[in-house]
Amino acid sequence: MSHVAIVDYGINNVRSVRNAVDYCGFEPLITGDPAAIGDASHVILPGVGAFGDAMNNLRSRGLDGVLEQKVREKGKPLLAICLGMQLLARSSEEHAEDGVPHKGLGWLDADVQRIRPNDPDLKIPHMGWNTVTKEREHPVLAGIRPGNLAFYFVHSFAMHCNEAGDVVGTADYGQPITSIVARDNVVATQFHPEKSQDSGIELLGNFLRWNP
Amino acid sequence: MLKKRLIPKFLLRDGRLVKYVRFFENERMAGNPVTTAKVYNDYGVDELIVLDIVPSAASRTRVIETIERMSEEIFMPFTVGGGVRAPEDVAALLRAGADKVSVNSEAVRRPEFVREAARIFGDQCITVSIDYKKVSARHSNVFIDGGRERMPLDPAEWALRCQDLHCGEILLGSIDRDGTMDGYDLDMINSVAGKLGVPLIVSGGCGSLQHAIDALEAGASAVAISSMFLFTDHSPIKLRSHLASRGLNVRAGAGSRN
Repeated sequence: MSHVAIVDYGINNVRSVRNAVDYCGFEPLITGDPAAIGDASHVILPGVGAFGDAMNNLRSRGLDGVLEQKVREKGKPLLAICLGMQLLARSSEEHAEDGVPHKGLGWLDADVQRIRPNDPDLKIPHMGWNTVTKEREHPVLAGIRPGNLAFYFVHSFAMHCNEAGDVVGTADYGQPITSIVARDNVVATQFHPEKSQDSGIELLGNFLRWNP
Repeated sequence: MLKKRLIPKFLLRDGRLVKYVRFFENERMAGNPVTTAKVYNDYGVDELIVLDIVPSAASRTRVIETIERMSEEIFMPFTVGGGVRAPEDVAALLRAGADKVSVNSEAVRRPEFVREAARIFGDQCITVSIDYKKVSARHSNVFIDGGRERMPLDPAEWALRCQDLHCGEILLGSIDRDGTMDGYDLDMINSVAGKLGVPLIVSGGCGSLQHAIDALEAGASAVAISSMFLFTDHSPIKLRSHLASRGLNVRAGAGSRN
């Protein structure tokens, strides 16, 4: 069995992701090595931290190109988590200097903007468990009962997709929060499956068994 | 919508789970933290808070081992704190598997540390923990060093200041109510929750299902609970189903998650 590559680009706390992959019965490998990413059955792009730093780290290690080649050209399944999902967008206004947004990977026709709730009772970050409403079916959600579609979120910025078909799930936080996006062999979650107990482990297991 | 969170709070002394009343009285050993955490995980609690109450270099090593072991089998968020004074402390705990790191005394001594840590690790990673005690009929002060040292700070004002320093959430604990199971400090929650733009976790005093309801209805985003789960038959499952039956937005019970 080949391994699952967890992309190491220097700013992540990836222990939980590694442990969750291991718990699902797969072989995790934390790596920034293009060959190891190329040999993996599945790739996970985790993400905690700031958008601009994350993109700079990906680029300075040449990993943006590696992901472009292995995932987009060769079709290896990718799961991007939290900030990892946001990196798939064209741009983010997180810590944008002089109002110029940071550029993302641009795989999705989407932008990342600060969550600005109108209701003062809605705190920022959007932190905690929220229910995800399915906008369409996707293999990573197979078998998870609708009542169990609650996942752990922690973020202050959210993705806005221009292609409605990319959106698999949304959560309600005064505004719809894009929670799961997918296109072809790429799927991404704004929440942390590796922190979402049974439902998260089920989703992760579904991804690791997915052969798009 | 976002759900209210039920968060067991673990106090560790030399790596063992302990519990006191009002921080210093009536020490009770409460078991092995990893084993207890697994039980709570099966109950489907929403997060865990783990605080090292007598921090030292040796206890830090034990806390890190504990978090590493928890994170191998338990897939929920962990907030870890105790003796956090420098970015290296935050980094070490995050590496061990913590998702958020709690800062208490050092935030008071050096408020810029909160801003610095938030900038390096992200706002959402930094929880400021505030312990306070009544000093007169109408006033409370912040206490640091595990409740030993009184500081001339009003807890509500200090909470707002910490938000300006970019902390991700506030853990606000009443020393007077700690371990008493007499109920949360609702006056304090009422006066703070509405002013805060970050989530508020309240701690100290939960002894009944109604206490948790009162705190959440007063505006807390989450309730930290220690004694009630450790020493009474009110389990997280029972609490959650009770909250749900009263119309509070909590996660579905563990029974429906199988």
